[in-house]
Amino acid sequence: MVATRRHRAGLLVLAAAAMAFVATFAVLSLVNSGSGPAPERQLDGAAPARTTDGQIRQLQTQVREAPTQPDLWAELGETYLQKVRETGDASYYTRADGVLRRALALKPEGFEGLVGTGTLALARHNFLGGLRYGLAAHRVAPGLARPLGVIVDAQVELGRYGAAARTLQRMVDLQPNLASYARVSYLRELHGDLPGALYAMRLAVSSGGGAPENVAYVQTLLGNLLFEAGDLRAARAAYEQALARFPRYVPASAGLASVDAAGRRWEPAIRRLRGAVARLPLPQYVVQLGETEQAAGRPAAARRDLALVGAEEKLLQASGVNTDVDLALFEANHGSPARAVTLAQRAWAQAPSVRSADSLGWALTRAGQAQAGLRWARRALRLGSVDPTFLYHAGMAARAAGHTALADAWLRRALAHNPRFSPLYAPRAQAALR
Amino acid sequence: MRRALIVAGLALALLVPAATAGAHPLGNFSVNHLVTVRVSSDRIDLGYTLDQAEIPTFQERDLPRATVLARKQAEVARALHVSVDGRPIALVQGKGRLSAPPGQGGLPLTRMELPLTAAVHDPHRVQVDDETFPDRVGWKAVVAAPGKGTAVHSSAPSGDPTGGLRNYPKDMLSSPLAERTATFAVAPGTGTLTAPKAVGGETTTDRSGDGFAGVFADAAAGKGALLLLILAAFAWGAVHALSPGHGKTMVAAYLVGTRGTARHAVGLGATVTVAHTLGVFALGLVALLLAQFILPEQLYPWLSLVSALLVLGIGVTVLRSRLRARGRAHTHDHDHHHHHHHHHHDEAPSKKTILALGASAGILPCPSALVVLLAALASHQIPLGIGLIVVFSLGLAATLTGLGLLVVYAKRLTGRLRIPAGVTALVPALSALAIVAIGVVMTVKALPQVA
Repeated sequence: MVATRRHRAGLLVLAAAAMAFVATFAVLSLVNSGSGPAPERQLDGAAPARTTDGQIRQLQTQVREAPTQPDLWAELGETYLQKVRETGDASYYTRADGVLRRALALKPEGFEGLVGTGTLALARHNFLGGLRYGLAAHRVAPGLARPLGVIVDAQVELGRYGAAARTLQRMVDLQPNLASYARVSYLRELHGDLPGALYAMRLAVSSGGGAPENVAYVQTLLGNLLFEAGDLRAARAAYEQALARFPRYVPASAGLASVDAAGRRWEPAIRRLRGAVARLPLPQYVVQLGETEQAAGRPAAARRDLALVGAEEKLLQASGVNTDVDLALFEANHGSPARAVTLAQRAWAQAPSVRSADSLGWALTRAGQAQAGLRWARRALRLGSVDPTFLYHAGMAARAAGHTALADAWLRRALAHNPRFSPLYAPRAQAALR
Repeated sequence: MRRALIVAGLALALLVPAATAGAHPLGNFSVNHLVTVRVSSDRIDLGYTLDQAEIPTFQERDLPRATVLARKQAEVARALHVSVDGRPIALVQGKGRLSAPPGQGGLPLTRMELPLTAAVHDPHRVQVDDETFPDRVGWKAVVAAPGKGTAVHSSAPSGDPTGGLRNYPKDMLSSPLAERTATFAVAPGTGTLTAPKAVGGETTTDRSGDGFAGVFADAAAGKGALLLLILAAFAWGAVHALSPGHGKTMVAAYLVGTRGTARHAVGLGATVTVAHTLGVFALGLVALLLAQFILPEQLYPWLSLVSALLVLGIGVTVLRSRLRARGRAHTHDHDHHHHHHHHHHDEAPSKKTILALGASAGILPCPSALVVLLAALASHQIPLGIGLIVVFSLGLAATLTGLGLLVVYAKRLTGRLRIPAGVTALVPALSALAIVAIGVVMTVKALPQVA
C-alpha cells in the first residue's frame, strides 16, 4: 500500500517535471518563431554557386587560375557590388574597385568592365562618371540593355529627364525585364503617374530576376509605391513578400515600420527600425527611427538616435564625401538649416535632380528664406510629382511666403493619397491646414 | 519614401570607406571579432578579441566604460560556446580589457581583449562556436594555437593575418573571413598543432541571434534593472504569500494538525512552486498559441488591451472580496481559488498528501502572477515574464516554507502559534489596490494603440 503510494507520488513528480519541460520548450520555441523568419543556413564550405557567396568564391578561384581574363575580373567586381546590396558591407566596395580597375587595365574597352565601373560610380554618387562609363559600354555593345540601365540612372540623377525617358524606351524595347520595368516605374512616379508606376513595378516583380535580393528590392519598391498610394494593407503584403524572399532585408523592414507607424503602432515600428539600424545604420533609417520616436512622444530617445546621423556626417566628411540629399534634409529638419543649405547646394551642383531641388528648397525655407524656398519647391514639382514629402515641403514654403491658397492646395495634395505618409510631417501638414 | 537609385539599390555610397588614412577598412559599422583557441590536456584557453568600428561605438557613447565592457562580456558569455566530447562546458572569463583607439572623423573605436578558460580532463574532441554579434558585418575568425601536453588537429587555421584585428588583408581576391566555428581533434602529445595555413575555406555559418536571447539582451541593457526586477519579483512573491488564497493558513493548520516535520514544510514549499509555475505557464501557452494564428502586429494592441482589462478585473474582484471578507468575521481562511482540506489526522503526513496539498495550493495561478505574465505579454517581453514568474513562485514558496518551518519549530517550542491578525488583514487589501492601479495604467497605455 505504502509502496504504491510512493510509486504514485514519484509518477506525479515525474509527470509534473515533464509537463514543465514541455511547456517551457513549447513557449521558447514559440517565442523564437515569432522573432522573424529563420536565417538561411548554408552548408559549410559548399554553398551552392547560385548564392552570392558561392558565386564570389567560384569567381575568386577562377580569377586566381586565369588572372588574364578581364571578363572574370569584371564579373567578380559586379558580384562584389551585389554583395554590398545584400549586406551593406562596404569593404566590398574597395574590393570591387580593385578588381574592376584590373579588368579595365587588361582590356580598356571591355564591356563587362565598363558596365561594372559605371555601376560602382553611380553607387558612389559620381553620376557624371557613371554616365561616361555607361556611354562607353553602350558604344562597345549597342545592342545590349545593361549599359542603358547605367545611362538612365545617371541621366535621372543629373536631372536630364527627357533624355532618360528616351534611353529607357530603348532599354525596354531591347529587354523588357526587372531592371527596365523598375526604371519605368520610377520615371512614371517622378512624373506623378502613380497608377502607371504601380503597374510597371508589378511587371518588374513578376519578371523575376537573378539574385533573390533583386526581386526583394523591387517588391520593397512596390511596397513603397503602395504606401504612397495609401494602400497600407497591400504595402504590408509587398514588404512581407520581400522579407520572405530575402530574410532580414533591411529596406523591407523599414517599409513595414512605416506601415506600423502609419497605424500608430509605435512599439513594433520602433522595434523594427532598431533592428534595421543595428544591421545597417544608414542615415535614412536612423532618421526614420528618430522621427518615429519623436512622433511616438519619446523626444529623448529621438534626440539620442538622431545624434548618430551627426556622427555619420563627420565620418563622411573625413572620407571626403560632403554632399548628400538625405543629410541636407536631416540638417534642415533636425539640425542647422544654414548647414542644410550648404549641403543641398552642393548636392544640386553635383546632381541637379528634382530630389536635390526639393532638399535645397526645404533647406532654404527652414533657414527663413521662404521666397527662394518656394522657387526651388516649384522646381522640385516641375515634373508633376505627387511625392507627399515634396508637396509638404512646397506647401510649407508657400505658407511661409504668404501664399495661403497655394499652400493649402499643395498640403491637401500631400495628404490626398496617404494621409499618414509620415508619422511626423503628416500631422504637421494637417495642423497647417486647420 | 524612396530615395535610392534603382541600380545602386541602397545609397551605400554614404558609407564607402574612402582610401584616406584612418577609415575602418571593414566599414565604419563593422563589428569584427577573433577567437584564439589553445587546447591543453587539462585546460582550454581562449582569447576573444573585439574590434568595433565607429558607428556601433558611437551608439554606446552614453554608457560608462564599465557598462560597455560588461555588455561585451555578457555577449561573449551568451554566445561563445565550447563543447568537449559533445558536452557544452562552462567558460570562466578572465579580466577583460577595454580600450578606445582613435578612428575616423575624430570618433573612437572600441577594442576589447578578453581571456577565457575552462578546466577539462583529457579532451578528445573540442568544438568552438562563436555566435557573438550575429548579423553584423565584419571580420569573424577562429584561430588555433598549440597547447600543452596535446597533439591537436584543428579545422581552424593557425595563422591570423590581421595581427589581432589591427591590420586587415587588402587582397581583393579574398572576402573578409566569416569563420565562426572550429573543431579540434585532440590526442595526448607534446604541444603540437596541425592546422590549415592561414585563410582556410570560407565557410559561412552566419547564425542569427534568436529572439529569446535578444529579449534578454534588451533587458540586460541595464543589468542592474534586470537584477532589480528579479529581486522585486521574488519579494513580491514572498510578501504576496501572506495574502489569502495560497493555502498559507491551510499549510499552517496542516502542519500544526499533523506531526509535520521540517522536511514536510520544505516539500510543501517546493511543490507549491512547481505547481504554481506550471499553472502560469499553461495560461501563457494558451496566449502564445493564439498569437500563432493571428499576426502578432495585429494581435498585440488587442492583447495589450485584453490583458489590461483582465488585470483590472482581477484587481477589482480581489479588492471586493477582501472588503467583503473584512465585513465578515475575521476568518482569513476564505479562499477564492480552492477549498481547504483540514486534515485532522494525528499521523505524520505522507509524501502523497504533501504533494496533493502543495499542488492544490499552487496549481491555480494567483492573480499577482497573472499580472506579471500579462504585463510581460503587453510589453512583448514574454521570456522575461516567464523568468520573473519562476522567481515570483520561488518567493511564494520561500514564504510558505518559512512559515511552515516556523510553525513546525514554534509548535515544538510552545505547542501552538498565533499570527497577528492585523498584519494579515492589511497586506491583502494593499496588494489588491496595487493590482487595480496596475490595471488602470495598463489600460490607459493600451487604449490609444487599439484606437
